[in-house]
Amino acid sequence: MVSTVQNTDVKQKESDHAVVVAVASRAVFEPEAQGGDNVYAEGVAFPLLQALQKVNERLLEENSAESLLFDIVLITTDSQQQQQSSHLISSTKHYGLEVSRFCFSTEEDFIESLLQNNVQLFLSTDRNEVSQTSQKGVLSALLDEYTTSCPSEQLRVLFCRDAVIRPDTNPTPASRQAAQSFSAQLGKMRQRFGMSDSPLSIALMTSCGGRDSCGGALRTLRSLGISVDEAYCLAGSPRGPILSVLRPHFVLSDCFSGLED
Amino acid sequence: MVKMSLDPVQVMSGQVTELKVAPSSNGDSRGSWEEKEEFDQDHLGLTAKPKPPKPENAVTIAVSSRVLFRTEREQKVFEQKGVEEYLRYQIEHENEPFAPGPAFPFVKALEAVNSRLRELYPQSEELFDIVLVTYNHAHVGIRLINTINHHNLFIERFCMTGGSSPIGYLKAWHTNLYLSADADKVREALAEGIAAATMFMPEKLTEVSQSQLRVAFDGDAVLFSDESERIFKAHGLDKFFEHERENEDTLLDHGPLKGFLEALGKLQKKFYAKGHRLDCPIRTFLVTARSAASSGIRALKTLRAWGLEIDEALFLAGAPKGPMLEKIRPHIYFDDQMFHVEGAAEMGTIAAHVPYGIAQKHNAKQNTGVRK
Repeated sequence: MVSTVQNTDVKQKESDHAVVVAVASRAVFEPEAQGGDNVYAEGVAFPLLQALQKVNERLLEENSAESLLFDIVLITTDSQQQQQSSHLISSTKHYGLEVSRFCFSTEEDFIESLLQNNVQLFLSTDRNEVSQTSQKGVLSALLDEYTTSCPSEQLRVLFCRDAVIRPDTNPTPASRQAAQSFSAQLGKMRQRFGMSDSPLSIALMTSCGGRDSCGGALRTLRSLGISVDEAYCLAGSPRGPILSVLRPHFVLSDCFSGLED
Repeated sequence: MVKMSLDPVQVMSGQVTELKVAPSSNGDSRGSWEEKEEFDQDHLGLTAKPKPPKPENAVTIAVSSRVLFRTEREQKVFEQKGVEEYLRYQIEHENEPFAPGPAFPFVKALEAVNSRLRELYPQSEELFDIVLVTYNHAHVGIRLINTINHHNLFIERFCMTGGSSPIGYLKAWHTNLYLSADADKVREALAEGIAAATMFMPEKLTEVSQSQLRVAFDGDAVLFSDESERIFKAHGLDKFFEHERENEDTLLDHGPLKGFLEALGKLQKKFYAKGHRLDCPIRTFLVTARSAASSGIRALKTLRAWGLEIDEALFLAGAPKGPMLEKIRPHIYFDDQMFHVEGAAEMGTIAAHVPYGIAQKHNAKQNTGVRK
């Protein structure tokens, strides 16, 4: 059974315009470690949350009536986590995280919970969860070793073309649609800031193709209203070393699926 | 001034043993590179063009957009009107290709060498790999891609970092040489152990070979360390000569571009192995103010001990380098002193400044006349 609890410490976002991002609680807090006082230690997605909050802060600085903001939801994805609900709430409040609400669900119903909450992006460190949710049409990204050590001053999003991240799943038309609409909103957010000193940076990487593949991807993103700050064309060179320098918080690859080279 | 054209059979390169080649067709060379023969069946997208080599196998040359192409007009927009206007201008002119910049002839020559290498060693990845590394914003990306297409350059890899330092990416791509218009970035690269030089656009350009890559190097503080230059600057010419004589048999320490000369040498040996010593499409030159009879000996002994061949060594004994370079017509000439870089440029040679060593402290103060 799913229960949704609002975080009373945080002002709720306007549901029509906000961009709902759900992060698996196991990524936000270390489940094993305790910071003392029933408070969990920071998890790998902590800098990501701080970066999302930074974007919101700066958006409101530009326009105090801004409604295009990130609406951050903490979601549990198994019954063990679900049972730790009070610790999760108290830990969130302890760190002053801008989480609007909590979805306490189990492995059976967390996907349902995502859909009900109109989640536009789901982030988790669990490969299976990401695979499942993606197949159900929810835009999802895996937080892996490259994305978990990023600083929190700037949200760094990477669009990746032609990388085989999840070889077992092909993005569905629904997830491609979800990808494009999330990306378009991200593009709009990016437009609120100037070229330098932006709290949000959008990068593009093409892994296998050459310059024309990258040029095509730049044009595709432009047609979706997304201005890319950084572009990397690898033409087959290893991704690892480049990703270690790039350090994105998460990687989106569903925008380009189905497009011919 | 003595010009010594060293046939590799003579003294200096007597140390170099001829490469023994196995009868296999792809001519594997020994050395630290690992030859990987792979057919990547899953490879997407590049069926018509040759596949770019793995960075660790190739000699990677990273060039910035301002040295590969001429972007003075756009630079002015950036300086006078700021970044937003600069990017708007770039997008407006997206379909206008840039004109070739100072590194362009060098890149074309690298590609000519690659064609010859591919003919002789079709499976080998020991090639030049030219990558564009710029801290330009990706808004300029489409214009840069259009320009590369227009000039028919074989550049399939690039980084546009949108303002952050490109140094991490240079390392990730095992960069062997980095050319940029920005002296600070070049200094950063040198500090990280990457051969790098700042390039300038000469006012006139003498014609260079289309079929043979010609690379010229200064000696001290470029191929070698700046230790001898320090002696000269601190104690004068006589002391310099004395020191060099006393230390004739002590090897000089290596300089920032030694590795690049080494990489060129490895590729040259691949041509020699297939009988192309006389018409090798790579030729290297040492252009030094040292004297052949005295201080030059230490330089030669050092190169020999390193196992590095250099095709021609020119000992100028302090004479100006400009006229000699004008005869050599290298695609690029590396020197640590701006005085020589400017002198070369005045006569139409494309020269690159290596901001390394003791000469940098003196650069700002000296303008004319002081030579080794």
